[in-house]
Amino acid sequence: MDSSSDFDLEFRNVTKLFGDVRAVDEATFQVRRGEFLSLLGPSGCGKTTSLRMIAGFERPTSGEIFLDGRPVGATPPYRRNVNTVFQHYALFPHKTVLDNVAFGLRMKRRPPAQIAERVDRMLALVELPGVGRRFPHQLSGGQQQRVALARALINEPTVLLLDEPLGALDLKVRRRMQQELKRIHREVGVTFVYVTHDQEEALTMSDRIAVMNHGRIEQLDTPAGVYERPATRFVAGFIGLTNLLRGVVEGRNDRDVVVRLASGARLRAETADGRAPGAEVDVAIRPEKIQMTAVRPAAADNCLEGQVGSFVYQGAATEYQIALADGQAVRVIVQNIGETWRAAVIPVGTRVYLCWSRGAALILSDVGPRRDPAEDDEPAPERVAWR
Amino acid sequence: MAIEGAAARPAVSASVGRSARRDLLALLNRWGWVKVLLFLVPACLLLTFYLVIPIAMLIVMSFYRSTLFGVVPDFSWNNYLHFWRNPMFPNLLLRSIRLAVTVTAISLLVSYPFAYFLARGTRRFRTTLLILVMVPFWTSYLIRTMSWLPILGIKGVVNYSLMTLQIVSNPVEVFLFNQFSVVLTLIHIYLPYMVVPIYLSLDRLDGRLLEAASDLGANPLRTFWHVTLPLSLPGVVGGIVMVFIAAFGAYVTPKLLGGSSGIMFGNVLADQYSGTFNWPFGAVLALIMIAVVLGLLVVASRFTRLDAVFGARA
Repeated sequence: MDSSSDFDLEFRNVTKLFGDVRAVDEATFQVRRGEFLSLLGPSGCGKTTSLRMIAGFERPTSGEIFLDGRPVGATPPYRRNVNTVFQHYALFPHKTVLDNVAFGLRMKRRPPAQIAERVDRMLALVELPGVGRRFPHQLSGGQQQRVALARALINEPTVLLLDEPLGALDLKVRRRMQQELKRIHREVGVTFVYVTHDQEEALTMSDRIAVMNHGRIEQLDTPAGVYERPATRFVAGFIGLTNLLRGVVEGRNDRDVVVRLASGARLRAETADGRAPGAEVDVAIRPEKIQMTAVRPAAADNCLEGQVGSFVYQGAATEYQIALADGQAVRVIVQNIGETWRAAVIPVGTRVYLCWSRGAALILSDVGPRRDPAEDDEPAPERVAWR
Repeated sequence: MAIEGAAARPAVSASVGRSARRDLLALLNRWGWVKVLLFLVPACLLLTFYLVIPIAMLIVMSFYRSTLFGVVPDFSWNNYLHFWRNPMFPNLLLRSIRLAVTVTAISLLVSYPFAYFLARGTRRFRTTLLILVMVPFWTSYLIRTMSWLPILGIKGVVNYSLMTLQIVSNPVEVFLFNQFSVVLTLIHIYLPYMVVPIYLSLDRLDGRLLEAASDLGANPLRTFWHVTLPLSLPGVVGGIVMVFIAAFGAYVTPKLLGGSSGIMFGNVLADQYSGTFNWPFGAVLALIMIAVVLGLLVVASRFTRLDAVFGARA
């Protein structure tokens, strides 16, 4: 028995070229049975092309895709046991909801009684009973999305592909549909491959996330994994907010290395792979992991001195922009957990100490180009709505 | 209430002229139908003078009496009875319908694959092919009809080729001056009316729906049957209606190329006005023709929404 049959889906060195453009570049990954995997990345990163190759709408230029342990090769979409929920639903406008949902089973020539029973069950699963006689244009966006989901799931696919299915919905409906999708995923137990550019959506819904950029998978890990331990500058910047501090490796002792910043300050940070002394590195530290104090703590792994440059009061938290001695800027997020009568913010110009423990900072596997110190947040991190 | 409010405002406003105009606009906004009416006035006038009044006149005229000394106002059903009593007229009607059906059916069979290729096949020759379809439109109807004489005639291209290839020894006369040449020419003339609407409906077809069908297990043939064809139906029906109406009323082409079988319903109708001057009977024939076309539209509306056919709905 092939070892890959433990996986519903496997990519082996899959590359897709459109002319000279490498839409997908040597992608290799496996998706476990029943898993909820998200392909996350900015537009043009190759996530949709990957999905279309699984569905069979595109063929890899090289490499092989395995479904259920078997290579799919040139199998056309209509012979693959995968179904897609399209971004704009792609419901058949001339067919009723009932006929839309029944379409797949009719193509398989199932007996009508069985079809009717399963259509009912599907419409109940997506919580849309009683709309069977309506036409798609008579439904709201959220309802159409549910119909699209039912139409795909009724075929009991090995893998369900979802191509930014919530992209066209407004925020409130989107939040509710996220919960719905998770519930349905739990109930049917089908493998979901979910394409999104929304990092929050990927973090809240996925079992694992494949972060893609320029056709490459930068990191494939659990939501906590990609957030807490981003492998590259891109991942660190794309998911959540992060501070990158440029420095030179000075030395190492067992788990961590000592990095000297331009200002002369020394940091201790964890690294997975060894770095030779003298190498330039980027140290990543999340804004909420930094402790900000008015006096230097007696014992701290890392401590930098700075001055409050600006702040944004956000209610539950306050985001500070701290100017370090060497001109680099660091973002710090402080939860507003103090007593209500105390002043909630630290005024601009206050001298502060930024401290964090050894394990809170990471050394990234890649190093960005030399940068202008005035340019404080590079690579431009996507702003997140902190809740 | 609304009128009072709108009228009262200029009185309190300082600059009367401007606010009056603003009030008019506000009124238009509030009374959407006033705006709608303004937009419809030209079309309504046009339809009234060119459609409603002439048809009303036809109906009135159909009850008049034609005498040696001219048309006399009357109220008699004689003109209608005349149509049914003489088997020639119903037979001619059937013949024209048969001709129109033949032309429409063959046009459809030729046009659909062509339009499909235009819309969904290669993009490379699309513009060229579309222009080739439209070019005949730029020449006169008569020239397009007459152009078949040197092709199908005894000394025509076809006979010349056949004789050169020694397939026949004497010129074949069956090509011209019969139903065949009429059908062929009408198809040639009205093909764009069939190709263009089908092309447009296929071109507008969302490719993602075809992917969705394929994704759900439909092979290309079944995708065509379940998705492409139903969604192109508005174009098909539009083409059928237009070609049928045009072929049904054709009388110049049958007259020029139909030979002894060239008399159609349209010829007899035209004769009532320009030959025998029996306008009341001509009115009856015209009304019957209108009735047939309306009947076709009723049938068409059972297959698809007519507002989709004529582009009112995407």
